[in-house]
Amino acid sequence: MRKRTREVFNILMLAVGAVFMIPLVIMFLTTFKMEREILDPSAVVPRTWSFSNYEQVLNSTVEAPIQLWTLNSFFVSCGTTLFVVILSAMVAFAITRIQIPGGRVLMNVVVATMMMPAQLFLIPLYMILGRMHMLDTPYALIFPATANGFGIFMVSQFMQGIPPSVEEAALIDGCSFLGVFWKIAIPLCGPALATLAVFTFIGSWNDYITPLVFTESVSNYTLPVGIALFQSSYSTQYGLTLATSLLSAVPLLIAFAVFQKQIIEASSASGLKD
Amino acid sequence: MTFRQQRNLTGYLLVAPYLVSFVIFLALPVVVALVLAFVQLDLANKSHSKFVGLSNFTDAFGDEAFRNAMLATGRYCILMVPSVLLIATGLGFGLYAMSRGREVVRGLIYIPAMLNVAATGILWQWFFNTEFGLFNFTAKRMHLPPVPWLSDQAYAMPAVVIMSIWWTVGGTAVIVLAGLQQIPRPFFEAAMLDGATGWNVLTKISLPLLKPVLLFVFVTTTISSFQMFGQAAVLSGDGPNYSTRGVVQYIFFIAFDGYRFGYGAAISWLLFLVIAVFSLAQSRLFRTKHA
Amino acid sequence: MSRRGSFNIHAVIFGLAAVFVVTGVARTILTGGLSASNKVQITFWNGFTGPDGIVMLGIIDEFNRDNPDVQVTMQRIPWGTYYNKLTVAGSDGRGPAVFIIHCDGLLRYRRAGFMEDASPIFSGQDAVPKNDFEPYVFDQVKYRGKLLGCPLDIHPYGMFTNADMLKRAGIVDSVGNPRPPRTRNEFILAMKAMMKGTGSGTDRVWGYALTDWSANFRSLIPQFGGRYLDEKGNAVLNSPENVAAMTFIAGLAKDHLVPPPTNGLGWLGFRQQKVGMVWDGVFMLGDLKRINAFKYLGSPIPTIGSHPGTAANSHVMCIRTGLSPGQRGAAVRFIKYVSAHSIEWANAGQVPARLSARRDPRFADMQVQRAFAEQVPHIMYVPRSPVIVEIMNAINLAVDQGVRQLKTPEEALNRANKLAQAVIDRDRQDHPEDQP
Repeated sequence: MRKRTREVFNILMLAVGAVFMIPLVIMFLTTFKMEREILDPSAVVPRTWSFSNYEQVLNSTVEAPIQLWTLNSFFVSCGTTLFVVILSAMVAFAITRIQIPGGRVLMNVVVATMMMPAQLFLIPLYMILGRMHMLDTPYALIFPATANGFGIFMVSQFMQGIPPSVEEAALIDGCSFLGVFWKIAIPLCGPALATLAVFTFIGSWNDYITPLVFTESVSNYTLPVGIALFQSSYSTQYGLTLATSLLSAVPLLIAFAVFQKQIIEASSASGLKD
Repeated sequence: MTFRQQRNLTGYLLVAPYLVSFVIFLALPVVVALVLAFVQLDLANKSHSKFVGLSNFTDAFGDEAFRNAMLATGRYCILMVPSVLLIATGLGFGLYAMSRGREVVRGLIYIPAMLNVAATGILWQWFFNTEFGLFNFTAKRMHLPPVPWLSDQAYAMPAVVIMSIWWTVGGTAVIVLAGLQQIPRPFFEAAMLDGATGWNVLTKISLPLLKPVLLFVFVTTTISSFQMFGQAAVLSGDGPNYSTRGVVQYIFFIAFDGYRFGYGAAISWLLFLVIAVFSLAQSRLFRTKHA
Repeated sequence: MSRRGSFNIHAVIFGLAAVFVVTGVARTILTGGLSASNKVQITFWNGFTGPDGIVMLGIIDEFNRDNPDVQVTMQRIPWGTYYNKLTVAGSDGRGPAVFIIHCDGLLRYRRAGFMEDASPIFSGQDAVPKNDFEPYVFDQVKYRGKLLGCPLDIHPYGMFTNADMLKRAGIVDSVGNPRPPRTRNEFILAMKAMMKGTGSGTDRVWGYALTDWSANFRSLIPQFGGRYLDEKGNAVLNSPENVAAMTFIAGLAKDHLVPPPTNGLGWLGFRQQKVGMVWDGVFMLGDLKRINAFKYLGSPIPTIGSHPGTAANSHVMCIRTGLSPGQRGAAVRFIKYVSAHSIEWANAGQVPARLSARRDPRFADMQVQRAFAEQVPHIMYVPRSPVIVEIMNAINLAVDQGVRQLKTPEEALNRANKLAQAVIDRDRQDHPEDQP
């Protein structure tokens, strides 16, 4: 292609990218409109800018305690990510580096369970969590997520690639296996663990069906469920519900702005041969 | 204790916490789900639980609402999978051909995937509103008749699909792009030197080399389409005449509104069977990939 | 994936752990998990997630002030998910001490086995007098010689009208005040008088719009003398009376007297002053009060059939089984208190269930509530049935198909009746011991 055509094409693709952003931009602008203007739109940009939607959301601590939901979301997502990353690294280390007897069997079982859709577990988990008196607590959203085998599978793939000489040297230096695990294996697996952390965090943050089923109290909702249920009570107040929705997305949008490269590379690698 | 024993002991200690979680939250649920599928368990009347053999499954085949839910899920898949595949491939090639600004556009199309499904649904519910939604606002400006997106059976599922495409296609496109970037440059250069046209390069070289990635995208999109829940649940609810109530939504209704856990579990297994076919294909892909 | 990432994964892990701990502590403090107290703790669950919840919170604050030994905390869950959460929590023995159930669901949730005998509410100090309710209303909480709860309110469906639009259309009384239509003819005339514009123009104005289609239809069932179930509990949804009721509703759509079914104007159109009249629940008053954009009137649903009538429901306050005697006493005291203060609850857009509350001078000042309350002698509850959710699903589907002209009213109701009867038969087979 000639240079001119190339440039035109670049601009064309940029326009395509912009099209994807239009809904978000309009959403952003609309949250600053008064209800009357939303119901009778004349232009995309608000005629009069108003912060009343945000004021109302942030002040409605009874109907929509969005601050509390944000805390809950951070608590659940950080907890899930923390446990998934550590447990996955531990199991992967035991299977691939220590090569415990039975490790291969465990690995096969784990891979097999990865194929089972989450919906299958919804009802049984509900009953089990009920028995454990864990329903309607954030822990019902954290602990079941740690059983997922994807992380083990992924980290194991990565750990297999580390030459044994590295840990042998450390062992000879008098380091214990736990020391090798924490001081050597974990840092060496840094990129894989970071990718796993990104996936787990985003998945947990945006999860909708699990908190919908496993929590009851408004004070235990995470953001997605909170805003969805808030919307069901105030469905006609678009300014208000759009503002809540936007607020619920802000933390991940900020994270995306900072870690865009890592996030996209992690997700684009999922379809590739290593 | 020998070195080997000490080594294994450490290994088992490392595995132990996960095993506890695995047994409670994965193995036990599978067993419970299996048992549930063959019992009648009404949570609102636990004392009358009983073993009912296969009748939960036979009930499902006679259940019109379940058939409707299957059809809704099927409609979603048929609309969603080819659209995502086509658009993502197009975007992937488009991104690949860019000489600069690729990362910017890649970021822009990826952003919707960062939103949670509830926020996405609330946003698009407003877009699709017949009276003052964005689409019909634009339509009226252009003197076109308004489209009753969410309140007409003919449009409700397409509306769910349009929203889902916007939400997910960027994430799929970057996978295609990464696949293209894996193809070594010399392949293209050699072809160009041989005087191949752009179309020939696309159909004879790029697409065949991209086949594993496209297959992966096809399988994962299909699986996630079968599991569709939040999109329709937030955007259109059950939809007019239950036209957007998919299988997962129906399971949710049966189990958590009707308290019929046994029947709900049986339907979950039926959904699992359908998905398993695609999951097996996926694991094949995984295996060839990581062998 | 490259290994050039020079970040510190240990830092990531410690960072996650730190946020996990800090948010954990913060949310525990915010949700009051750390406050120890020797008061009797009473949890009260309901679905009052809108402005009505704020009114209820006010009553609870008063109660907590007047009863220093008890601490009532309210938990609000949107009605859409409320009942499944309640049932599961209740049958697990960790449900709320006091909870609200719509009276048509009483038998369904009674079966789950966590509803305590409510008779202490009607005896002892500050007893709620049983004769302070209409017998039809009080009958709803009786079952097999037991009392299941205490009715808090009645929420009938009635008509909201835009006063200015009525006036402009010349629908006024002898002194020139807007006068909502009362009869079928007046209603149709008013509807046509307020219509403006044609086609799908944005400035189109409608006289009437269907809002909650199913409730609009059900409001007419008693007017035509129809019912849901016969004496034996079998479905009679497709009776000629019900077909007549649906024919009227579906006919409005067929004759283009209301916004097309696909357009979804309904309540929102009324709020936007694009619709002059709607039939909806008295609880929608909270929404009108909040937007405070135009003058509106409440009035009974016009008599379309042979006699006046409308659909209604009631919130019933119930107590959970398995409470300690102290908690049970406090729960009873709380319910008595709320019942005695139900005139305050009426402010949330409700008709108090207690006759004495409706005689309170404050009620006379509540125009909409008072007008809706006129209908109480003619209200019809949805029958109490253990499978009411499934029956209502069948009805909703039929109304949907009827209004959209996908099926004739007769076909739609025939199908609904078949679906409902199948559910009833299944329930009889599954639960022979518990049939109303």
